Amino acid sequence: MDNSIEIENLTKIYSGRVTAVDNVSLKIGRGMIYGLLGQNGAGKSTLIKILTGVLKPTSGTARIAGNDLNKDSLKIRRITGVVPQDLTTDGDLSGRENLKLVAELYDVPKKEAEERIEVLLKMVDLYDVRNRHASAYSGGMRKRLELVCGLVNTPEVLFLDEPTLGLDVTTRENLWSYIRSIQKEFKITIILTTHYLDEVDSLADKLSIIDHGKIIISGTSEELKKSLNGDIITLKLKNDDEINKIGEFKNATEIKLMENKEIRMKVSNSDEILPVLMKYLSDNSISPESINIRKPSLDEVFIEYTGRNINAEQENKDYAKFMRAR
Amino acid sequence: MGGLIPLTVRDLKRWYRNPVSAVVGVIQPIFWIVLFGSAFDIAKFAGANTPAIFEGAPDYITYLMGGILTIIGLFTGMFSGINIIWDRRLGILQRLLMAPINRASIVFSRILSSVVRIFIQVAILFGIAFVMPNGLKIVNGISIIDVVILISAVLMISFIFSSLFSIIAVRTTKMETVFGIVNLINLPLMFASYAMFPPDLMATWLSNVAKYNPVSWSSQSIRMVLIHGSLTSSEAHTVLIYMLGLLALSVFMLVMTYIVSNREIRE
Repeated sequence: MDNSIEIENLTKIYSGRVTAVDNVSLKIGRGMIYGLLGQNGAGKSTLIKILTGVLKPTSGTARIAGNDLNKDSLKIRRITGVVPQDLTTDGDLSGRENLKLVAELYDVPKKEAEERIEVLLKMVDLYDVRNRHASAYSGGMRKRLELVCGLVNTPEVLFLDEPTLGLDVTTRENLWSYIRSIQKEFKITIILTTHYLDEVDSLADKLSIIDHGKIIISGTSEELKKSLNGDIITLKLKNDDEINKIGEFKNATEIKLMENKEIRMKVSNSDEILPVLMKYLSDNSISPESINIRKPSLDEVFIEYTGRNINAEQENKDYAKFMRAR
Repeated sequence: MGGLIPLTVRDLKRWYRNPVSAVVGVIQPIFWIVLFGSAFDIAKFAGANTPAIFEGAPDYITYLMGGILTIIGLFTGMFSGINIIWDRRLGILQRLLMAPINRASIVFSRILSSVVRIFIQVAILFGIAFVMPNGLKIVNGISIIDVVILISAVLMISFIFSSLFSIIAVRTTKMETVFGIVNLINLPLMFASYAMFPPDLMATWLSNVAKYNPVSWSSQSIRMVLIHGSLTSSEAHTVLIYMLGLLALSVFMLVMTYIVSNREIRE
């Protein structure tokens, strides 16, 4: 498979101080949905803004569909579609007028644009409300409009920056099915940034975990889960004595002390190890407040490689707070 | 400049679809000419000396017309930057920055739509000035060249001030900054000029300052063609100097806007 995007040592430093993207190198194959998973502020949106020509990198380069980021910025903008994190459609224009404006900005011939707009509006079930002002749309409808705005120019690469941020569960799943059908219909490369683990697990063919501007690990969801080499058992203990004793448990491949006296233990097979662990706890008079057994998941992969939990709920609250403050 | 026309059309759609802004746009010229022209009718103190004091104008409204047309250009132009900040705050600017267009067209579309709105207001103002009792009197006729001078003067003053405030808005995220600057400079620009009063009625220092104010250049040019019709060679020379001054300033401001908006516009 040839590559749609090739990123080489891309770095972005804001105001000479804050490193938002730190020496990122990545190759993304043509026609796949590629997920960039990371917390807010991890550098995902900055990376997208660089790749779409909105921001200039401090150093490094990238090639998008064979075009050099530093030389062919205008060409790249022409062949990419973007669905940014924030709403970018004009509430004072109707859904159809918004799409028409985007078509005009991308120089799509008038007749072709009209046909395409009709297809896109039908695809995301907005055709019946096409003449209504976008400000009257619900959150989900508005997001769907944003989604098709990114497709008016039939891009080779579509960037989706946190496409379901702040939406309810049903609307999110709804939007996922639209994204899948877009990929199937147009056979384009889709780059998806998100901090929702289920989103990347459900949609992405391949993903990278990004943290503090760096790519920590890349692979398919299955590969990353396998890389954990086993299951995870977490125990919430009461005191340092118990923590010291559990540290000597021999059947775990790895034992880590997390926050709030929580022990994260990696074991080859939790079904076999659990009885052994229970006996060890009993023999050593350790009585944990809670025991949790988890099979490899992206959540665990994220904790493993970043040392932190990806707290989507908190991030949503932070985002809502941020939007209210605007 | 790709994107200029669709973005201008979009801006105008937003304007006429908003009932408040459309009504304000129509009422404002009426207020200017009816309220300001009548309330400040200082010509009534001059009596028979009115033409001598007011540069040949038969009454104050006829004298004021050049000033008011200029001030409409000045005020509407000043607020053209506001829309750029709105687009930034609403996120729309982000979509425009991602589009394969010359980024200067984002700014120039606001300037162009301001100019269209200014000319709609100017047309309304003329209509009202003619039909109102004791309104505008064009006693010496008006030629095509006079109309061209009038339109050019309003056009250039609109370009100058909408460019100036668009440049400010290119990097500003706060509405308050632009409102603050508008409030700070609009009154000095208006009163330190010949827009409202002839130089002879001003303090000497103010009259000296007003000489260099582009608002004076535009007001005087429009006034001279409206009052005198066909100009004498010395009047034509004065108008030419003013118009060249306005042209130089417009070209400078538009070039600056192009450079600044292309290089500096940020989401």
